[in-house]
Amino acid sequence: MDLKQDNVKNLDACIKCSACTALCPVAAVNPLFPGPKSVGPDAERFRLEGIEMDIKCLNYCSNCKTCEVTCPSGVRITSMILGARERAKQSKHSDGKTLQHRFRDLVLGRAEYLGRLGTIWPSMTNTVLSISLMRVLMEQILGLSRHAPLPSYHTKFKPQGSFVQSDKQVVYFPGCFAKYNDAQTAQAVVKVLEHNGYQVIVPNFHCCGVPLQANGYFSRGRENAKKNLALMEPYLKAGLPVITSCTSCGLALKEEYPELAAAGAEYIGQQTYDLFEFLWELHERGELREDFQSVPVSLGYHAPCHLKTQGIGTPSVRLLRLIPGVQIQDLDAGCCGLSGSYGFKEEKYDIAMQIGKPLYQSVQQGVAEGRFQTMTTECGGCQVQIQHGSGVKTEHPVWYLIRAYDL
Amino acid sequence: MWDGIVIGGGLSGLIAGIRASEKGKRMLVISEGVGSLTYSSGVMDFGDVERLKEEKNHPYALMGETVVRAGMEYFQRLFPDYQGAWQNSQQVLTPLGSPREADLVPTGLNAGVLQKAKEIVLIAPEGMKDFFPEVIKAKLERVYSKAKIEIYPVAVEAFDIWRNSGKLITGMDYAKYWRSDQGAVNLKNILGKLTEEMACSSSGATSGEKQGEKSAIIFPGLAACFSNVLKGVLEEVPLPIVEMTAFPPSASGQFLYEALKQKFKALGGELLVGTGVKKVEFQGKRCHTVIVKSKGKDVTFSAQSFILATGGIFGGGIQVGPKDANESVMGLPLYVPAQWTNSEFLGEQPYAKMGVEVDPELRPLAAGNQEPLFDNVRIVGRLLAHWDPWLDHCGGGVSLASGWLAGEIL
Repeated sequence: MDLKQDNVKNLDACIKCSACTALCPVAAVNPLFPGPKSVGPDAERFRLEGIEMDIKCLNYCSNCKTCEVTCPSGVRITSMILGARERAKQSKHSDGKTLQHRFRDLVLGRAEYLGRLGTIWPSMTNTVLSISLMRVLMEQILGLSRHAPLPSYHTKFKPQGSFVQSDKQVVYFPGCFAKYNDAQTAQAVVKVLEHNGYQVIVPNFHCCGVPLQANGYFSRGRENAKKNLALMEPYLKAGLPVITSCTSCGLALKEEYPELAAAGAEYIGQQTYDLFEFLWELHERGELREDFQSVPVSLGYHAPCHLKTQGIGTPSVRLLRLIPGVQIQDLDAGCCGLSGSYGFKEEKYDIAMQIGKPLYQSVQQGVAEGRFQTMTTECGGCQVQIQHGSGVKTEHPVWYLIRAYDL
Repeated sequence: MWDGIVIGGGLSGLIAGIRASEKGKRMLVISEGVGSLTYSSGVMDFGDVERLKEEKNHPYALMGETVVRAGMEYFQRLFPDYQGAWQNSQQVLTPLGSPREADLVPTGLNAGVLQKAKEIVLIAPEGMKDFFPEVIKAKLERVYSKAKIEIYPVAVEAFDIWRNSGKLITGMDYAKYWRSDQGAVNLKNILGKLTEEMACSSSGATSGEKQGEKSAIIFPGLAACFSNVLKGVLEEVPLPIVEMTAFPPSASGQFLYEALKQKFKALGGELLVGTGVKKVEFQGKRCHTVIVKSKGKDVTFSAQSFILATGGIFGGGIQVGPKDANESVMGLPLYVPAQWTNSEFLGEQPYAKMGVEVDPELRPLAAGNQEPLFDNVRIVGRLLAHWDPWLDHCGGGVSLASGWLAGEIL
């Protein structure tokens, strides 16, 4: 298989400088995780010879991809680790998980089903989830940390209002968080695109597949991806851009969907845009509506790990700086720790909180010193975790466009 | 449209980005990985400027002494934690304990005080990777022959599980630990206890001040630079504490990288890390666009000016094959010596001088031509031709001076 050849090439590219391990947020706080260099390229040499390492080690990787961004030699370290995890899962060896954790990961991987369930009667779900006895039970039965900031549920996002009919069309991929936990933000994204003259098409997408993959359900993740691609294919063929407002969905669409053997895979990477990446391109072409009202606000910005990995810089920071009155500074204080559902897990909650500590401190310090009032970041998981860790309100950057456009 | 795009996020690239941003330019730095500062000791060498500025084609000769001085002063203005003065070198310890000369040194690394010491205590953090206390002790005994050298093991409870599970603890892990709230408190206790023990053991010792004149502590895996908390802790200790430079990954290099990034971002600069430039587009004698390999598709960025800070062979700016060498981003012509290597391993290696030849404004030149190839492209740092950082000890100096100059004239 070609894959093997690639791995060999990647292995040689690793010069063992340890920069990845030195900057790995998990290795820094978890003594049981030897670090990306050890479980990635180092162990890969043995894996190629059929010698597997303790699989528990692989499960500590939070899939934040900091190692890949860090590597001066371009080695795809996280991909190696995820690949090893998948092979370990397929092999007869135990994946080192207890039955409880296996069941928990089955649940957490299904953000979509949880969302559908949670949004049947959102206020009821939220009430139940806020009962501390319930959380204790969930910890004992499901292995979900009782302290974890589980996001609340709201009425499911349904694109509504006057559909703008236009020959300028985009497809919007809201992702589970916006769809089930934060429909107002999804609606805000639609409003901003419509305000710029776009008709926004929102097919009934499934979960992008990242939570499934992160919880060890690789083939189910790919099945979801294929279903989504089938929904997108006619639009992709017609040349429509696909817009994401969640950076992890965006990364999956750009990095993993193109590798699938499915119709539409050849277009998806080329045609996927992060919302602000798309808006910035409009700005560069002189097509963005820039009749902004002044929004007097000073913001701290956190770049989600899966935005950094996309290699597009921080377009939301650039764009918000066009709005009169907006002051925004990129804190650059590392990973928030949550990494999707990693920090919700009972055995990983403390690790996640330790990972995010420098960020929470930087947020609290910035607010205390009056350098900014509130936080903004694209990723729903980061929003929840930063609020949990620092107590400072954190919203999606699209909300400042809504205010600037007075929508 | 950006005012300037810097390709390469190491020392010279970030200095160029910071200087230009400070002058109000909108700057983007594009960097393949985290740059090579994590590999570096974090100290800045300038070398013998008087001699090097007379050497034909050397970057110092091209830029002139005023620019080299400006680079040094600018860096110290940005980071007052770095100490040093023009052509007045200081001593720092290598990871194996030999003293070596350096020009700009982060707080704590200056080892000058060891020369007068009668008693040197070498802290040995337990289980620290790439740290060889016995080797260092032997070296120190030879260099500081008047001093008594003692190894003082320090075990940190927080790393117990690391040691028990066989996980390596790098100097960087220790350095990060001391910077944490808990670590700083622990450091204060350890140093308090140690100085007390030293005061008791030194025969007839009376005051702490006297003790301070003849005793010193060497503390590997500690980097107080840029940390006010740690500097505060160390100030309270009556004895001088000398840090050591480290093998990669090096905490001092990493903390400098963090400080440079913070400064650049605070000035409104944007940093794109993790992807390289795939292609560059030119029109006549001007570069106008770079195409970046982002995930899924290529992304283009346009700018008025470009700074190439991609490094040399090690940093990836120059790609070397069995017979040829190429500049990896713009395909610029390179100076390549006829003979590349020398059989004497630690002697002069001609390949070290490979690089792009430039005019005094750092614009790239074609071989034998004094007319710049491009008007809005500038070359900085290791990619410049005709210098050898290992023989001339001027790596920091060339990077700071050329980075500052490129940012200044952007």
